[in-house]
Amino acid sequence: MPPASMLIILELFCSSCKDSVEDELELSAARHRPEALEQLEAQTRFSRKELQILYRGFKNECPSGVVNEDTFKEIYSQFFPQGDASTYAHFLFDAFDTDHNGSVSFEDFVMGLSILLRGTVQEKLNWAFNLYDINKDGYITKEEMLDIIKSIYDMMGKCTYPTLKEETPRQHVEIFFQKMDKNRDGVVTIDEFIDCCQNDENIMKSMQLFENVI
Amino acid sequence: MAAGVAAWLPFARAAAIGWMPVASAPMPPPPREKRRGQDGLIILNVSGTRFQTWRNTLERYPDTLLGSTERDFFFHEETNEYFFDRDPDIFRHILNFYRTGKLHYPRHECISAYDEELAFFGIIPEIIGDCCYEEYKDRRRENTERIQDDEENENNKDLVLPELSFRESMWRAFENPHTSTMALVFYYVTGFFIAVSVMANVVETVPCSSGPNRAKEVSCGERYALAFFCLDTACVMIFTVEYLLRLIAAPSRYKFVKSVMSIIDVVAIMPYYIGLVMTDNEDVSGAFVTLRVFRVFRIFKFSRHSAGLRILGYTLKSCASELGFLLFSLTMAIIIFATVMFYAEKSSSASKFTSIPAAFWYTIVTMTTLGYGDMVPKTIMGKIFGSVCSLSGVLVIALPVPVIVSNFSRIYHQSQRAEKRRAQKKTRLARIRATKSGGANAYLQYKRNGMLADAEEEASKEAGKSLVCKINPTFETQHHHLLHCLEKTTNHEFVDEQTYETNCMEVSLTKPSMSRSSSLSSSPHGLSSCCTRRNKRKSFSVSNSNMVGGRRGSIQELSTIQIRERPMSNSRSSLNAKFEETLPLNSEEQSYITAAVISMPTPPVTTPEGGDSASSPDFLQSNIVRVSAL
Repeated sequence: MPPASMLIILELFCSSCKDSVEDELELSAARHRPEALEQLEAQTRFSRKELQILYRGFKNECPSGVVNEDTFKEIYSQFFPQGDASTYAHFLFDAFDTDHNGSVSFEDFVMGLSILLRGTVQEKLNWAFNLYDINKDGYITKEEMLDIIKSIYDMMGKCTYPTLKEETPRQHVEIFFQKMDKNRDGVVTIDEFIDCCQNDENIMKSMQLFENVI
Repeated sequence: MAAGVAAWLPFARAAAIGWMPVASAPMPPPPREKRRGQDGLIILNVSGTRFQTWRNTLERYPDTLLGSTERDFFFHEETNEYFFDRDPDIFRHILNFYRTGKLHYPRHECISAYDEELAFFGIIPEIIGDCCYEEYKDRRRENTERIQDDEENENNKDLVLPELSFRESMWRAFENPHTSTMALVFYYVTGFFIAVSVMANVVETVPCSSGPNRAKEVSCGERYALAFFCLDTACVMIFTVEYLLRLIAAPSRYKFVKSVMSIIDVVAIMPYYIGLVMTDNEDVSGAFVTLRVFRVFRIFKFSRHSAGLRILGYTLKSCASELGFLLFSLTMAIIIFATVMFYAEKSSSASKFTSIPAAFWYTIVTMTTLGYGDMVPKTIMGKIFGSVCSLSGVLVIALPVPVIVSNFSRIYHQSQRAEKRRAQKKTRLARIRATKSGGANAYLQYKRNGMLADAEEEASKEAGKSLVCKINPTFETQHHHLLHCLEKTTNHEFVDEQTYETNCMEVSLTKPSMSRSSSLSSSPHGLSSCCTRRNKRKSFSVSNSNMVGGRRGSIQELSTIQIRERPMSNSRSSLNAKFEETLPLNSEEQSYITAAVISMPTPPVTTPEGGDSASSPDFLQSNIVRVSAL
C-alpha cells in the first residue's frame, strides 16, 4: 500500500532529525591551559621535574585541563572502593577550589599539594582548618564538624569492625570539641585549633607522614 | 581500582592530612619508598614501527611482559631498544592499555590474532574496557562456536553422551528431532498423521456423487462414515499416545501442562472423546457438531514442526496492544459511520439499513474496500456519507498497519538484542563486582598477611587474586597505607562481607562497650622487648589457620579472634603482665577486649629482616601505646 510505505519513510526521517539538533547544543567542554612552568615553579615548592610528573598525571585523567566536581568525586572514589567517598570528595573539592569557580585547575591543584606536602606545619594546619570550616566563616561549628566526620565514616562503608553505629560520628565530634574548644563557646577558632594541634604529639607526628609522597 | 588513576594517588595521600586532626588513633608509619630509578624513555621497536613511552608507564603493570624483567629478553644492544617481532597494529592497543588503563578491542581485527597478541604480552582479556567488552565477547563466542561446529562435524558418529536417564533422553528426542533416528521417525509420523487428520476433516465435507437411488447429494463424510471414523480414531490414538509420552517425559509436568502446545494438543483430541461419550443423546447433537469444529485446531499442532509458525504466534502475542488499538479505532469508526448511514438512509423506502447494527455490515464492507454490493445507499446524503466512509476506511486501516509492522521488526530486533544483553549482563555485573571486591579484598588480604613492603612478591600474589592485572606493588602498598590511615582516623576496621554478617549477629547478642581509647601507658621497654620478638615470628597467632607462616605483622583478622573468649596461644601468655591486667577489666566482654589488645600496629614495615632493635622501640614508643576497648 503506497500510503503505508510513505508513512514508514516519514517516521524514519523524523527520528533521525531529532538527534542532530541535540548534538549541536552540546558545546565542547571548557579547556584550560596552565601557567608556564617557571611561574608555577616560583609559586610552589615543587621542583621542575616534580611539576612535570604532576602535570602529566593530572592531564592524563583530565585532558581538558580542569577537574569538575563529578570527575573529582569519581577519581577520589576509586581509592575507597568499600564506602562512599563522594561527600568527603565534595569537601576536598571545596578546599582545593580556592577561587570557588566550580572547577579545579592545575594551578589550584598544585598550590594545594604544595601546602600539603611541602608546607610548614602551620600552613598544613591552616589548610585542615579551611577544610573543616565548610562555610569559610572562620569558625568550626559542631554541625560542620559532624558533616565532615560523617563523610569520613562514609568512606569506610558498611562492612567495618566494629559496626558503625548512629552515634559514633557524634561522639567523635564530642571528643574533638572537648579537645579543641578551650573556651567552651561551642565553636573552634583557627587559633584554638592550631594551638591545640601543636600541643598534640600524635597530630604533629602525623603531619609529617606524607613528606615524600612525590 | 584503575591504575589509570595511580597518578592521583599522591594527591589522595596528601589530602589525608585532612584526617589527622580528627583521628582517634595514631597513624601507621608510611611504607618505605622504593628507590626511584630515573624515569627514562623506552623505545619499543615492533616490527619496524617505533613506539616510545616512559619506563614508569610500562611498570604500572608488573605482571605483564612489558612491565616486568621479561622484556629484557627482547633487548637489542646494537640499537639500544626493545625489539618485538609482532603485529604493530595490535601492539598499538596494548601500549594504550598501559597509558590509559583501559584495553580496547579493535573491531576490524581478527579475534584469534588479538587473543594471541594479548597472550604473548601477558595481558588477561578480562580487563577489556566496557566499551569494547560486549563486542569482544560476541566475537569470541562466534569463534568458539565455529570451532565447536567443526569439531562436531568431525566426530559426529561417535558422539556418546554420558548417562542420560531414559526420561531425559525421551524428552530430548521430543524437543530435538535431529538427535536420533527414532526421534526423526516419530517427528515425521506425527506430522503425517496431523496432515492426514486435517485432510480428512476437509474432505469429509465435500459432496460425493450420490447413489442412484438418492435424491440429494451427500457429503463424503456421511457416505463413508465408517472409514472416516476409523481414520479419525487412528489419528486420535496416535495423538493421545504422543501427548501421554510427552507428559511422562516432561521434566516439569506442571509447566508442560500449562504450555500452549499442550493445550492445543488437548483441544485437538478432546472433541473425539466427548463425541464418544455423547453419541446417543439427540439434544446435544448440535453441540456435538460444534465440537467437530475444534478438530481444526489440529492444524496448530504443526507449529511444533515449523519454527516460523512459532515466531508468528509469538510476535502476534507481543503486538497485542497494537492490534488492540487497531481494533478499537476500527470499532469507533464503524459505529460512527453506521450511525450516520442509518440516519441518512432512514428516509428512503425499502432500504436495507433497518437498524444501526444492520448498518455495521455495510460499514465494515465499505471501509475495508470490499464492497460486496448487498447493501448500497440510495439517497444522495447516503451516497455522500458512503464515499466518505470508504475513503476514511482506507486511512484508518492504513495507519495502524505500518505501526504494527515497524513494531514487529523493532520488537524482533529488540528481543534479540535484549537477550544478548541479558546473557551478558550477569557476567558483566559479576566482573565489575569481582574487580571492585578484588580491590577491597586485596586490602583485607594484605592486612591478614601483615603489612609488608619488602617481600612483595608473595604478598602481591596472595593479596587479591583479582581479575585485574597486578598493579605496581609500590602503588599497592601506598594505597593500603592510605586505607590504614583511614581506619586509624575512624578507629574502625575494614572487614569483608561474611565477617560483617557474623559480626551483626554477634552484636545483637552482646552489647559492646563504647569506651574509647583507654590508653595504657605501659612501660615502653617491656613492650619493646616482647614486641621485637614478635616481629620476628608470627606474632599474635591466635588463629593459626588463617595466618601464613613466617609473616611478620600484627593486624589479625578480627573475626577469628572474636570467636574465642580468651586467646590461648603461648605468645599471648608470655606477654607483658600489664596487658593481662587489662583483660579482667571487662570480663563479660572478653571477646572484644582481646580484639582490642591485638589491634596495635607494630611497625614491621620499615624494619628489615634483620630487625634493628634500635629502630623498633622508637616506633613502639610513639605509636603502640593505645589500647582501645572497641
